[in-house]
Amino acid sequence: MTSPLLLRSSLRYLLRHPWQFGLAVLGVALGVAVVVSIDLANASATRAFTLSSEAVSGRATHQVVAGPGGLPDSAFRRLVLETDIPAAPVVEGYVFVPGRPGRPGSPGSPRSPRSPGRMLHLLGIDPFSEGPFRPYLSGGAQGGRDEATSFDLAPLLTRPAAGVISAATAEELGLKPGASLRVKVGGAERTIELVGALEPKDESTRNALSDLLVMDISSAQEVLERTGRLDRIDLIAQDSQLAEAEAVLPPGAQILRSSSRTETTEEMTEAFRLNLTALSLLALVCGVFLIYNTMVFSVVQRRTLIGTLRALGVTRGQIFALVLGEAAVVAVAGTAAGLGIGVLLAQELVRLVTQTINDLYFVVSVRELDVPIALLIKGGVMGIGATLAAALAPAIEATKAPPRAVLSRSALEGRMRRALPRISLAGAGLLAMGGGLLAVPAGGGLGLVVSFTGLFAVIVGAALLTPGATVVFMKLVRPVMGRLFGVLGRMAAGGVVASLSRTAVAIAALVIAVSTTIGIGVMIDSFRGTVVNWLEASLRSDIYLGTPSRAGGFSGGDLDPGVALRMTELPGIRRVNLLRRTEIPSPDGSVRLIILGTDLQGINVYQLKEGRAETVWPAFQGGDTVVVSEPFAHRRGVSAGDSVRLRTEDGDRDFKIAGVYYDYASDRGLVLMSRATYLRHWRDPQITGFSVDLKPGVDVDEAVKTLRAALAKEPGGDGLSIQSNRRLKEISMVIFDRTFRITDVLRLVSGMVAFIGVLSALMALQLERARELGVLRATGLTPGQVWHLVTSQTGLMGLAAGLLSIPVGLTLAAIMIFVINRRSFGWTIRMEVDPMILVSAMVLALAAALLAGIYPAWKMARTSPALALREE
Amino acid sequence: MTLNRRRLFFRSLFLPLLAVLFLAGLTGCRERQRLPDASISVADVLRAENPEGYARALEPRAFQFPAEHGPHPDFRTEWWYYTGNLSTREGRRFGFQLTFFRSAFAPAMAPRSSEWASRQAYLAHFTVTDVDGKRFRSFERWNRGALGLAGAEASPFFRVWLEDWSASAAEPGSSAPVPPMRLKASEDGVSLDLLLQPGKPPTLQGDRGFSRKSAESGDASYYYSLTRMPAAGTILLGDERFEVTGLAWMDREWSTSSLGRDQMGWDWFALQLSDGRDLMLYQLRRRDGSADPASSGTVVGSKGETRHLALADFNLQSDGAWVSPRSGSRYPAAWRLRVPSEGIDVRVEPLLADQELDVSFRYWEGAVEVEGTSHGRPVQGRGYVELTGYEPPPG
Repeated sequence: MTSPLLLRSSLRYLLRHPWQFGLAVLGVALGVAVVVSIDLANASATRAFTLSSEAVSGRATHQVVAGPGGLPDSAFRRLVLETDIPAAPVVEGYVFVPGRPGRPGSPGSPRSPRSPGRMLHLLGIDPFSEGPFRPYLSGGAQGGRDEATSFDLAPLLTRPAAGVISAATAEELGLKPGASLRVKVGGAERTIELVGALEPKDESTRNALSDLLVMDISSAQEVLERTGRLDRIDLIAQDSQLAEAEAVLPPGAQILRSSSRTETTEEMTEAFRLNLTALSLLALVCGVFLIYNTMVFSVVQRRTLIGTLRALGVTRGQIFALVLGEAAVVAVAGTAAGLGIGVLLAQELVRLVTQTINDLYFVVSVRELDVPIALLIKGGVMGIGATLAAALAPAIEATKAPPRAVLSRSALEGRMRRALPRISLAGAGLLAMGGGLLAVPAGGGLGLVVSFTGLFAVIVGAALLTPGATVVFMKLVRPVMGRLFGVLGRMAAGGVVASLSRTAVAIAALVIAVSTTIGIGVMIDSFRGTVVNWLEASLRSDIYLGTPSRAGGFSGGDLDPGVALRMTELPGIRRVNLLRRTEIPSPDGSVRLIILGTDLQGINVYQLKEGRAETVWPAFQGGDTVVVSEPFAHRRGVSAGDSVRLRTEDGDRDFKIAGVYYDYASDRGLVLMSRATYLRHWRDPQITGFSVDLKPGVDVDEAVKTLRAALAKEPGGDGLSIQSNRRLKEISMVIFDRTFRITDVLRLVSGMVAFIGVLSALMALQLERARELGVLRATGLTPGQVWHLVTSQTGLMGLAAGLLSIPVGLTLAAIMIFVINRRSFGWTIRMEVDPMILVSAMVLALAAALLAGIYPAWKMARTSPALALREE
Repeated sequence: MTLNRRRLFFRSLFLPLLAVLFLAGLTGCRERQRLPDASISVADVLRAENPEGYARALEPRAFQFPAEHGPHPDFRTEWWYYTGNLSTREGRRFGFQLTFFRSAFAPAMAPRSSEWASRQAYLAHFTVTDVDGKRFRSFERWNRGALGLAGAEASPFFRVWLEDWSASAAEPGSSAPVPPMRLKASEDGVSLDLLLQPGKPPTLQGDRGFSRKSAESGDASYYYSLTRMPAAGTILLGDERFEVTGLAWMDREWSTSSLGRDQMGWDWFALQLSDGRDLMLYQLRRRDGSADPASSGTVVGSKGETRHLALADFNLQSDGAWVSPRSGSRYPAAWRLRVPSEGIDVRVEPLLADQELDVSFRYWEGAVEVEGTSHGRPVQGRGYVELTGYEPPPG
């Protein structure tokens, strides 16, 4: 064990270099914070989703679902009367509770804060069938009687639009049992009468219920205008009983395992979550560089001391333990702070993550951040582990100091130069390995892990090539510097190479940070550009009208197509294109179907990736063919010529894939079908919305007014949303940008960690050179010249880092666009490089380096040479 | 003055169950979770009642058969109560109970477009006592009176059903005042399929079927019984099939208003004697342990003629006990029953000790046998006894 003497020496060292260790602690803290916060945000969103889907699925083993119309009431009756399988019908949807403006307090009435609107999940159930199904309605597993206090079933069953919500939610909304709750369902306003409250005992059930509005199935059908239809029927069935159920169900129905629905939704977001996790790891990698740098510095600075200690009989093991012990102090302090910051950061990130999931996947609401201890432990282990791993090399280095022999600066540099070819070789090897991993064709979560491993290999490989590249760069730049700034210029360039062991680490850290910025920037930019082009090409109609979406996303409400067709009689309107969005069961999970009621000209806006327009679209209009989106083809591994099996109202049918089209609206994938084909297989003439093409020269805003007036007289017409082409594009881009906001946050934090790393490295380097600079000052260099020397040296380093970052950053962008994005989502993105991104990256690198050089330069310049020389 | 025991029973059992099943996760159709029976206070439930808006039983009325077999939806509650003793040709003995309760949630409902909307709920109990196999099976179901899942109707022919359990006129075309009736119920390997003949004409309980239960106007019900219906049919127990014959008993009652609050429960007897007479009586137990003066009964002669029995007319003493292994409740298990004015002195003993219904609300209702004297001559009989309000010891 380390002796008290060694511990004291170690402590003294830490205390005498507070800034150095402070920065290291901060770097670790930020790295850990990002990883932990992303982890927490993901976990909270997932858990909220799982809880609410468990609350809604209950103990059902299977669910019966059907296509657009849902199931008829009679399907449930037949299940009950003709089978012994416990069944519970469900009608569900979403209702919006509008917020209320704030009201200042007055005597007698307290101030009421402004409240934002809130989405509630309307769950229509049959209390008579519920018993075995939804445990939360029984207040936990064996809730028993004491839970059953709050309300009478009679009004729930007999009063129209009667519902119950959780007591906590009622309180949040300021409602008491008996109160009316005004909600919006689709476009229409409804008043729900609250006839009681659910008061689950345990916390997790309370959370699961917080957004639930429970109604009797009769009221749910009426409020959602789904009279006679069921969204699904939950079953508790053995596999052997399924045939019995199938026999009495209509042919369009499909029985799914309950778990498969949850799994599908989790799969949907898997790529999204994995990408976030990987990006968060980048921040930790930057932090690790920082640790490495700090520990190397501390070892080098104490080389004499360590040599002396060894001569006094301190063993190699003790020296090793000493260095690692110091790293452990940094690790523990940094990690502890990181966990704290991580939890705080997660509060914000969970909002961004949830927002994205809501925009892209399904409705989930996270009321509060969930902080599982396991995740904190994981973050802690990662932080401490990474820190100690980074300290390993310097610790070994320290043990190599022979007793009393002075491990001189020059010896270290000499070793570094000798090691340079090996380091470069290792870097090249890592690059090759990364390239190899990226070339491995693999799909799914594992494929993504492989891809990200490849990406990290490329990053680390690039970092290892940095010293060699720095040497080359400085050689090239030295004569130029000499010509520009004379001896001092050459000295600056030479100095970088002379202390390569220190400068290379700083440059490498900067390269990683800046290239990450370039990579993510170019990726988002390219993606954005691609989406803008795609919107431009595919949104050709002038005005888009639609029913608000139902049940959390894709499927829209119902509209009589006659309403749309009557609009063609209005002046200025050239034609309307009918659209139906619906979700259809299929043997491989549900399929999002877009049904197009339009002619060839209207269809031609879809750009084909596979298949030729001249053949695809006529076939599409005619037979049982579909066109699938690129992500759909990617997810299902299908292409033109294959087929998709869908559960129609007459049973399973295969639809031939005539082509694959570019689409960026959904990473789950979409299937296009013509209205004629659809109506042959589904008795569902309703539409979800329609688009309007205007005659040339007609003013869009005028046309919107005309349409609005005409629609007000139509049944269901007043609930339609009307958006101009321009507005729809704007909304799309707002959602797009929102999706990437979290990526920007990650990029920012990685940049901060890298900056701290560079600052720490440069400061260490320059302070270490105090003696050398002292000699220079003694030999006549003015403080101004010292200032000049130091800044031009750090400036050179920034320049080197910036220049190296460009190829590395572009490589990262290419990997993200062409490998990771394709494997995660299957999108074709055209890589576009905005020169501004490269310029700003260069500026960032230079600014970071120069900024980091200010304090050392200032300190060096004002130190008296005598003091500097007295170091020994 | 007749106290309608089923009404009390029904109110105490059905409504609170419905009120809380939603939260307490009670009995589903087939998967059982239940309330501890001590947890529902009869008095609490009755206090909550509000008869406003419902039809009331205010005075005797003319009974129209077969229409009265059908539902009376304007009254709050109603039931069809079938019990009986059966045996095979070889002498293997069975008891059965098949009961349908209707309860209105509200006296009226706004017009609704959903077919699920209904203000009527139905609850049914089905039991079979396998005397020789020493096994008692009980089942429970409930559903709303909508969508064909449950309901009752008088035309085109009498029918009350809950999913695939039913009691109905056996011949749909029949317009007889009391048609032969068919009972069908089946669950978990236990099935009953019986044809019941009318037997004696309907017995109108109380004053011509107007069964007053307190001095308060409107605290009354309409109540008639078919006390001796020859029954024949089959019972299935797992793979075994039994052709059975015997006698069944039907009670029909509908009402709206509530009871007093001081009753704990009751012991009710429906006995069919070998001398051709049928005996219905009940003793209401008050909280202080005494018999309520409203306890009463009816003797039905072999031709259907009736005589009312007041509490003073009969003497009922229990001399045995059975403790439920499930609930811990202690039930009386044998009785000596004397009706001196009718010359009846009999012992009543359960055919099986454990005939406690293992449903949401525990109570004992089971087949019994009768042995004793009628006017000094030996008499035998069969019947059904119902014991409610026997709460388990605290703790």
